[in-house]
Amino acid sequence: MENLVYIALFAPFVSSLFAALFGMTERKIWIGVVASMLLATSLVASITLAYTVYTTGNAIHVTMMDWINAGDLNIPFGFVVDQVSVTMMTVVTLVSTVVHIYAIGYMDHDKSFNRFFSYLSAFVFSMMILVMSDNFAGLFIGWEGVGVCSWLLIGFWYHKPDVSKEENPSVSPSWAANEAFIMNRIADLGMLVGIFVIYWNTGSLQYDEVFAQLPYLSESVLTIAAITLFIGAMGKSAQFPLHTWLTDAMEGPTPVSALIHAATMVTAGVFLVIRANPLFAAVPDVSFFIASLGTFVAFYAASMALVERDLKRIIAYSTLSQLGYMFAAAGLGAYWIALFHLAAHAFFKALLFLGAGNVMHAMHDELDIFKMGDLRKKMKGTWIYMTLASVALAGLPPLAGFWSKDAIIETAFNEHTYFLWIMLVITAGMTAFYSFRQIFLTFHGEDRHTALGFHPHEMYTFVLVAMSPLAVLATITGWFMKEYEAFITKLLPQYEMSEHTHHLASYLGLIVIFFALSGIAIAYLKYARTGDKAWKRDEKIESSFLYKLLKNQYFVPKFYEEFITKPYMMASEVFWTKVDLKIVDATVDNIAKFFYTSGDKTRSMQTGNLSNYLNWMAVGGVMLLVIAAISAMIG
Amino acid sequence: MIGLSHYLIVSAIIFSIGLVGVLRRRNLLMLFFATEVMLNAVNIAFAAISHYYNDLTGQMFAFFIIAIAASEVAVGLGILIVLFKKHGSLDLDDLASMRG
Amino acid sequence: MDNILSILVFFPAVAGLLGFVVDKESARAYGITVAAIEFLLSLWLWFSFDMGNAGMQFVELIPLIPDMGISYYLGVDGISLFILIMTTLMTLIGMASMGETKNIKNMIVTLLFLEMTMVGVFVALDAIIFYLFWELSLVPMLYIIGAWGGPLRIYASIKFFLYTFTGSLIMLVGMLFVAYIYHNLTGVWSFAITDWYALVLPVDYQLWLFAAFFVGFAIKVPMFPFHTWIPYAHGQAPTIGSVILAAVLLKMGTYGFVRFSLPMFPDASVMAITPIAVLAIIMVIYTAMIAYAQKDMKQVIAYSSVSHMGIIMLGLFAMNAEGLSGSVFQMLSHGIVSGALFMLVGMIYERRHTKLLSEFGGLAAVMPKFAVIFGVMLMASVGLPLTIGFVGEFLVLLGFYHVSPVITVLAGTSIILGAIYMLRVMKLVFFGPLDNEENKKLKDLNARETWSLIPLVAIVIWLGVYPKPVLQPIDNSVKSLLVFMEGKARTDEAKDMIKTAKTSTSIQEAK
Repeated sequence: MENLVYIALFAPFVSSLFAALFGMTERKIWIGVVASMLLATSLVASITLAYTVYTTGNAIHVTMMDWINAGDLNIPFGFVVDQVSVTMMTVVTLVSTVVHIYAIGYMDHDKSFNRFFSYLSAFVFSMMILVMSDNFAGLFIGWEGVGVCSWLLIGFWYHKPDVSKEENPSVSPSWAANEAFIMNRIADLGMLVGIFVIYWNTGSLQYDEVFAQLPYLSESVLTIAAITLFIGAMGKSAQFPLHTWLTDAMEGPTPVSALIHAATMVTAGVFLVIRANPLFAAVPDVSFFIASLGTFVAFYAASMALVERDLKRIIAYSTLSQLGYMFAAAGLGAYWIALFHLAAHAFFKALLFLGAGNVMHAMHDELDIFKMGDLRKKMKGTWIYMTLASVALAGLPPLAGFWSKDAIIETAFNEHTYFLWIMLVITAGMTAFYSFRQIFLTFHGEDRHTALGFHPHEMYTFVLVAMSPLAVLATITGWFMKEYEAFITKLLPQYEMSEHTHHLASYLGLIVIFFALSGIAIAYLKYARTGDKAWKRDEKIESSFLYKLLKNQYFVPKFYEEFITKPYMMASEVFWTKVDLKIVDATVDNIAKFFYTSGDKTRSMQTGNLSNYLNWMAVGGVMLLVIAAISAMIG
Repeated sequence: MIGLSHYLIVSAIIFSIGLVGVLRRRNLLMLFFATEVMLNAVNIAFAAISHYYNDLTGQMFAFFIIAIAASEVAVGLGILIVLFKKHGSLDLDDLASMRG
Repeated sequence: MDNILSILVFFPAVAGLLGFVVDKESARAYGITVAAIEFLLSLWLWFSFDMGNAGMQFVELIPLIPDMGISYYLGVDGISLFILIMTTLMTLIGMASMGETKNIKNMIVTLLFLEMTMVGVFVALDAIIFYLFWELSLVPMLYIIGAWGGPLRIYASIKFFLYTFTGSLIMLVGMLFVAYIYHNLTGVWSFAITDWYALVLPVDYQLWLFAAFFVGFAIKVPMFPFHTWIPYAHGQAPTIGSVILAAVLLKMGTYGFVRFSLPMFPDASVMAITPIAVLAIIMVIYTAMIAYAQKDMKQVIAYSSVSHMGIIMLGLFAMNAEGLSGSVFQMLSHGIVSGALFMLVGMIYERRHTKLLSEFGGLAAVMPKFAVIFGVMLMASVGLPLTIGFVGEFLVLLGFYHVSPVITVLAGTSIILGAIYMLRVMKLVFFGPLDNEENKKLKDLNARETWSLIPLVAIVIWLGVYPKPVLQPIDNSVKSLLVFMEGKARTDEAKDMIKTAKTSTSIQEAK
């Protein structure tokens, strides 16, 4: 079994190194094939491990070697394969394998093809460390590792120049990459502090040892640890107010958006909360805050998606929104439901993104859905996939999204947090609306693209075939909810709905479906029709305050720009030119100058005239006499 | 009765005259004379104190000073002659070649 | 090889003297050979080092002036061992990577003399010998900056020399005073540091002495507000000068704190925690912001050095094994990473004869190897896990959290601010369109440059993944240092503050 763990972990690493070897040579398709096969190997190992954990019910624990030992601190490279991590491993490797295969088709014209696979596999490796580690420090390795890979991949097309924010809100790939990295770092500091709190209060960073000590810790320590760890989670999972990087991250190639910024990396924050569930369960106030923030983000992101025109940005907002759902579930104590939604979301969201990638490929990187329309005739496969994923996202039965999202909404009801419940239900309606707005504007309605000179074509067949596992999983995952519950609750706490909720469950489900269907209906009426009733841009709405507010992301990026970035730049400049050069350095120079000028001034005593010297000598002699006399009188 | 203090006062007066000469005179030759005056003032003081303490060391020292002053004058005058030949003047204000 | 340390100290100097007669064309090869032998010798030292022993090893003691207690006294422990190895390594690599240089023979000879003084500082156990090497190290560096530097080289080199020299003089006064007290208490003179360790000084004496030593070390580190010589020194120095300066000379200051201040004045050190921590966070935040505002690549690295030295200073005063070991490890990590970064900047300077950020852009397309190595060093510099930069920074912050969570959070902004200024450099130099005509013809790293950087890349990753071989001996010595400090501390506050590790080995008695 140990070997399988290592295979699952290191196959992506080998793949990354292998591709890196050819990183500076011209593109070779077979490198993508080899990388995909190695990823598939990892997938098979993960599934085998999942099966083993499922049958035996035991976690597999391996310790590879020591990492940092200093003072009383001992951090090994230790890995644990239990119900939670094996779920993540399977999801990650599965989506990654599909994305790798997809990328062979998607990136086939890019001259940095090899480099792309190197980065992509390195990301998977980091993600595997993140989910498999048995201690917080190992988690942090993966945490930072995925951050760097995300930086590399967002900025993959580094050669693009910066443009103004009006032209492209993300400025340029390298700008977006830096933004993502720095914003994640802010959160990582929180996480580091959490690790320090845990270490100094429990003397260890191993999950099992830390969790065993939790009952002996004071309330305040637990609260601080939970808050700081959650700050870390907020960065990686792009929760408000650290969310702006995620939409800008769409500057990366689409397979990256599908893998990193939808299915896996951004869910790391949710994973952390689930992994450290004993800690978060011990501090109900913090947990409630997490649930409230999650709900808020779900609503907030969905509202921005309502008016967005950029295909990928719409999906990015929906990712944010769904992450909010996951946090809401985790915050309310339904950890396994959060994990289940995480898995289901990974499947349908990756499918949706890859579909968007197909559209992009067909439209020559055009992302404005206002310029598309009626694409379904030319891209039937993509249309089916994306519609399927959108139905799952909207939460309609029998697709995956329904089961998992409905369970979260039900949880909010069960916890008597009715306000959260109402918000989540409304958000479900909005989700359905914007998903289908996007589908209808892209694939239905009037043909707007031909007039603009686009000649879209369907993606390669092998790519469409490669996407099929995701489509299948997006459909059927929900059907195995009961089995999964039995499996996962061996590790995670069981979440029981009260009798009352159970009684109302079907009505609650119907309410959600009703909201979702009305969202779709509105979207259909507005965007899908052709002829006289075809959708047209409405100047009045677009110039309204609400529209502008949403379009500008509530002016949050603007706020950051004006009140954080610019002041920081100005302060740096002032510190350098005014403080460091004019005060600190000038003080030092002035001390030196004092000696220099005093020497320069007294130099004039040196007239060369012997008579003057003799006068000075006499003055000196008199002064000495006076001093001697005074000291004689005093002493 | 003329006591030690009278000698010392005379010595101090002569020394002061010499000092003023050193400070005020501009001609090198005059400076030489002034230093000679100062040296002789010291000699008077030495001789007087030597007599007062009945210790000949002071008088011996005075002789030393006379001898050294003589040799100093010999060397010094030699230098002065060379200087005068070179610059045509012994005025200190004209000789300031080491201005800092 | 009983006197391996003497060989290590004097071999470069003797070889340097011989270097005068070497042919000009073969001077570089000669220098590299000597530095390589020196490096191998230091590696040999490591292999024969007894990992279990936390005390001084390879001790050599020859009385020089017995009446005054001055002796030729050398030794290494886990702390100095690795700084010494880093010194020989960086000298070797710096020399190997050196591009076309005028008067190369003089440069090689100067570097070899500099190596002697640097090694001497780290192995000296007698205060006079220590001071001797400490001051001597200024001379070759003065020469390197003054003779091979940029347009402002005279100003920069004199500033460097006078500034650090002033500090060391005050330190010398402190040393003499310690010796004087030692004489008063015991009746004999001694300048042996190990003898001085045994002195238990009254707290007010400790404070004055701590202050005297502090000035000497703080200017060298350089701590805020004594840091302003470093932008000039780095800005004007040739590449090799910056590499040695950043990698080794700055470490002499922090090493001084470990060797003198902490064990000799434990109470004063504990009292100094807050003021030093405040200075350290100013260094971390303020200089990181200044680094962001720079227009010149090399100045960014220079200011980032100061920022990282702030982290090291913080760790030194964490008063627990985690922080202190992390701090010593961070010295090594900073030496290697900043050295490599200076080398990289030097390589681009050789090609374009400018270091201005505005001149570059999109270099990743024409110089991929350069971009990759720069990227690795950048990641190490911002403390990415599994690179050498993380281990030290993590341990320091972890250790200091026990002292003050608030200060740790403030210092922890280093990981954010570091990313901000380094990523800015990366973006401005390597990313974006390649639109400057002159940059389009740039050649990627040649074999010499690549192979002088590869070892550093390997070390950065090796010590990031498996720091144990280095960290463990450091940790042993640090633990025994802390036990010693706790035993010696007079005030209760100091005894409370100094946290010895549960796994500490028995107290290493001072000689």
